[in-house]
Amino acid sequence: MPSPMALNPPSRSPSIFKKKKSFSQLSSMTTAASYLSAVHQADTRARSHDNSSVSSTPALSLSSSVTASSEDTVLNEDDENNCLAYPFTPPTSEQVFTTVHTEFGHCANEAYRCVSKHDYSKPVQEHAIEEPPYYILLTTYISYLILLCFGHMRDFFGKRFTKSYFTHLMPHNGYAPLNSDFDSFYTRRLKRRMDDCFSQPVTGVAGRTIVILDRYSTDNNHTQIFTGSKTRALNISSYNYLGFAQARGGCADAVEESIRRYGVSTCGTRLESGSSELHASAEALVARFIGMEDALISSMGFATNSTFIPALVGKGSLVISDELNHASIRVGVRHSHAQVRMFKHNDMASLECLLREVISQGQPKTHRPWKKILVIVEGLYSMEGTLVNLPRIVELKQKYKFFLFVDEAHSIGALGPHGRGVTDYFNIPPRSIDVLMGTFTKSFGAAGGYIAGPKILIDALRLRGHSGSYAEAMTPPVLTQVVSSMVSIMGVAPSSQSTKSSLILSPASSIVTLKDSAEELPGMAPPSMLPTWMNLHPALADGSEARMRIRRLAFNSRYLHQGLKKLGFITYGHPFSPIVPLLVFNPGKMSMFSRMMRSRSTPIVVVVVAYPATPLVTSRVRFCVSAAHTKEDIDMVLRACDEVGGILDLKHGVGERWGIDEVCKRAVELVHSV
Amino acid sequence: MDSSTSVALEPLLSFLAFSLSQIESGFYRIPGSAVVARYVKSSHQNDPGRTILELILVIFAIRTLLQSRTRTDRSGKHFIRFSEKEIDELVDEWVPEPLVQPLSEWEQKDLNSVPVIAGPNGPKPKLLATGKIVTNLASFNFAGLAGNEKVKERALETLQKYGLGSCGPPGFYGTIDVHLDLERDIAEFLGTEASILYSQGFSTISSVIPAFCKRGDIIVADRSVNFAIQKGILISRSTVRWFDHNDLKSLEDTLISVEKDRKKRKGPLTRRFIITEGIFERDGEMVDLPKLVELKLKYKYRLIMDESISFGTMGRTGRGLTELYNVPASQIDMLVGSVANGLCSAGGFCAGSAIVVDHQRINGTSFVFSASMPALLATSGSEAITLLRNNPSVLLNLQDNIRAIRAVLEKTEGITLLGHRASPIIHFCLRTQQQSLSVTQSTYDHEAEERILQDIVDDSVANGVLLTRAKHLRGQEMIESRPTIRIAASAALTRKEVEKAAGVVKASVTRILSKRR
Ligand SMILES: Cc1ncc(COP(=O)(O)O)c(C=O)c1O
Repeated sequence: MPSPMALNPPSRSPSIFKKKKSFSQLSSMTTAASYLSAVHQADTRARSHDNSSVSSTPALSLSSSVTASSEDTVLNEDDENNCLAYPFTPPTSEQVFTTVHTEFGHCANEAYRCVSKHDYSKPVQEHAIEEPPYYILLTTYISYLILLCFGHMRDFFGKRFTKSYFTHLMPHNGYAPLNSDFDSFYTRRLKRRMDDCFSQPVTGVAGRTIVILDRYSTDNNHTQIFTGSKTRALNISSYNYLGFAQARGGCADAVEESIRRYGVSTCGTRLESGSSELHASAEALVARFIGMEDALISSMGFATNSTFIPALVGKGSLVISDELNHASIRVGVRHSHAQVRMFKHNDMASLECLLREVISQGQPKTHRPWKKILVIVEGLYSMEGTLVNLPRIVELKQKYKFFLFVDEAHSIGALGPHGRGVTDYFNIPPRSIDVLMGTFTKSFGAAGGYIAGPKILIDALRLRGHSGSYAEAMTPPVLTQVVSSMVSIMGVAPSSQSTKSSLILSPASSIVTLKDSAEELPGMAPPSMLPTWMNLHPALADGSEARMRIRRLAFNSRYLHQGLKKLGFITYGHPFSPIVPLLVFNPGKMSMFSRMMRSRSTPIVVVVVAYPATPLVTSRVRFCVSAAHTKEDIDMVLRACDEVGGILDLKHGVGERWGIDEVCKRAVELVHSV
Repeated sequence: MDSSTSVALEPLLSFLAFSLSQIESGFYRIPGSAVVARYVKSSHQNDPGRTILELILVIFAIRTLLQSRTRTDRSGKHFIRFSEKEIDELVDEWVPEPLVQPLSEWEQKDLNSVPVIAGPNGPKPKLLATGKIVTNLASFNFAGLAGNEKVKERALETLQKYGLGSCGPPGFYGTIDVHLDLERDIAEFLGTEASILYSQGFSTISSVIPAFCKRGDIIVADRSVNFAIQKGILISRSTVRWFDHNDLKSLEDTLISVEKDRKKRKGPLTRRFIITEGIFERDGEMVDLPKLVELKLKYKYRLIMDESISFGTMGRTGRGLTELYNVPASQIDMLVGSVANGLCSAGGFCAGSAIVVDHQRINGTSFVFSASMPALLATSGSEAITLLRNNPSVLLNLQDNIRAIRAVLEKTEGITLLGHRASPIIHFCLRTQQQSLSVTQSTYDHEAEERILQDIVDDSVANGVLLTRAKHLRGQEMIESRPTIRIAASAALTRKEVEKAAGVVKASVTRILSKRR
């Protein structure tokens, strides 16, 4: 049967990428309309299949299913002449997607999947740093030198001729300045030059695409003026690893129901009558998901570190911290009064050397043995994309008897064949680590954080951590998002009376998912752990959709990594890391990169980071890949990087180079190589 | 003219040449220096650019070495050299303490007694443990916004447009228009230039303080400030002077003595801050704002005031103490409040001048390094402000209820009510000879009092009124608080219900205390 789509395929010539604005209203209407009608018809067809057996479900039907919530497919797009709104390959009538393409891209091609798993036949990759040519370093230093000179000169003359601009930096009226001109120099003279690349206000969902509020500045970024118009851009910047930032779909439906039932707040701290049954069930679920005995959750990821680390260590204890650990960990350690030592980023030799030194020397001056040593590392480092060398650390742990705290803020959900983070990726039992911490802000599209560990530990933290007594509890909508997204990653175990056959009859299970559910999965969620009112969509409940997401993320991450390498860029990080930093070095190129990407015919928003978040020379662009991206989106990013990188002279990597077309064509091969 | 200058320069130039040759010969006297010199010369010949580069690299290397925070103490005088074998032995011998001490029997009981609510929280929640409906005198629902249909509707609308998570810190595409809206709403509501939104109430002030107060700055703070402020002060590394709890005379004395100190030492002008709370979380005392502002202006201090309890509860429409005392909010340099407590949503804010707010956008650690709050919580906050603005009667009800509760409890034997008469949180502790909160440890038995209070809480829960002790981290607070039970009044209950509930509390107190005797 010919697909209705085929009769009226949207004009997918590359030309529309070029002239977004001139894309005629009329043609966009027909395209949108035809897409919608196609979707609608396919839905109708699918509904009639709904009760039939699995054999009639087409093999290619995406694991997202075709049932009740298919109204969701209807695009409620407000901004329509933007090619980001339609899939590159129009769906066939058999493929019905339950997600909105702008939030979560439609990608039916099973070849664009990959499994994130450590290959033990190869050594754990060291943090390799590729050096740029000398002249790049030189020009980078010179750039900073020039910026500093100009900055100081402007300050010098400014203070004499335009005093009014400097009053808040000078003592006046008997008050010392809030911020001296010296302390704020970097912010005023370097960062402000590229303020248009930071803190860009947005609206809508931070999904596959994001809508930015256009703004401009007439006074060198002192103030930004909003034009009132909006632009939809491809979003390769949000921590939306599994694509759960969605306004439509099973999770959003569950959140909606929970707001109706619970309101938006639990009105208090956890220990002072702000605890709800939702907290209890979510904590049990998190423990199950992580594979630990117990877990607690807190309403902010930052505060999870900053308020619970002090309950773990104190005076007489030592914290050994990776030098690139997140600010929240540093704050937590400072609150704790413990001593801190740092080791070189992800360098296990440096860690061991330090361990030998501190254990043999004991506490400073007194040489008393340390009460305890806590090593704090991150699973996946947010600026470098490096993965912790967990197998080695666990080995060291056995020998040196320290306690291990792993912050899985970025890795949970995003790594491992089952999305259970670094332990899953390396296939190391979670319980061989003492404390596993993570946040819900990233892969789960929610907010807040958790700590998982043995029950004794968690109970002690519940009572002795600062959050329990003083900080507001997590709110019901957030809890629901956590529970629904997490359950969908785990899959709900079939309840005892329902047999395997009911699973097979489920319309959502395609062939792929059937094979998977036969596999022994660690910790599926028992139905009793879900709130009784939560009716998840079958594709979410059986975990098939989330498995697809995990594989798409792994594919996209590897593809972007390898693609950029083949195009000649210098990148950091682990090939499976969804965080892909692309080194630009020169401070001037950083803002240019961001602006050029944003002003393309299909705008792309990127994150640029520089000193002080990174070392002075290694300014970078940081891509955050999501499962919501389709292969074509990554193509688009690569193509944009190729063009912009060519203009800005960023291709300094060593190794074999491919052309952009070849990279796009041989994507699957690229991903599975190495 | 020309020749005269060159004449004048002559001695200078010859001196320069002389000292250069001196330095050179000195350099060659250092062993190995010839090698270095030869290397530099030849490399300079080959590639002059390289010399500059290397020079810069050397400078940077030295700089980073000097700055390095991970300095090893190897060279320190306390360093003991061990052979590898000895180290191995020491490693083998070392026995660390367990990561945490297990809970004591009392702590376990404390944890087990935490109430868990089934279904929505509000004026009359259902307890999970017993399935009973109780009257809520424990949760922060001052203006009765919990479960408000308008708020829910607004949250649902937002959900449909924005989804839940923001998936990014504010700097990196996590600033959503609804955050800017709420920031503007708060600033307009209070009458300040701007405000900034943090994603958790507790982490707000502990991040605001170190954003402004640095090493060498002076903080003058109330001795009984809440835990979040204590943590913020600790992390700021500033010099702290404490004044007696809610005693503005003591504050003035401290300010004078600080000024004297500075005059004596002739130190430079440093930033000076007064940090206090509007209504104190620990006992419900209220600060005399006009007097405080007068002092701060007189002595030229900046004022950081935590209105986490008073924002959304005090004043005609809940603008807080500034509305109550009719003091312009712009007089308070950093006004910190809680969206979670006062507006029944989540998060916190700091309002102030545009400079103060912008400074935090770069320097507020928990603002910069944490994801922004979910959009629907921000719009719930905005909606709550609209509701407060439009329904001043709500806060009149709240005051009525506060009076009703206090009236009943004041007449109760064996307890002492603390705090200001108008405070929406009402603490009471067991009555002893000394009534001050900061009595020394020896005059009362902390744990015994906690147990008695917990019995009162349990008894009144069994009789249908939800209460809670004010939970504190023992041993971590700067000064130990007297154990108290903290009642949170709510406008969502009628006067009748409140009186009845207070009666139940009174009965529980009497029952438990008479049993003890
Ligand atoms: C390693 C790490 N820990 C903690 C956090 C803080 O999490 P949240 O944004 O949920 O406050 C982050 C976020 O950026 C992080 O990268």
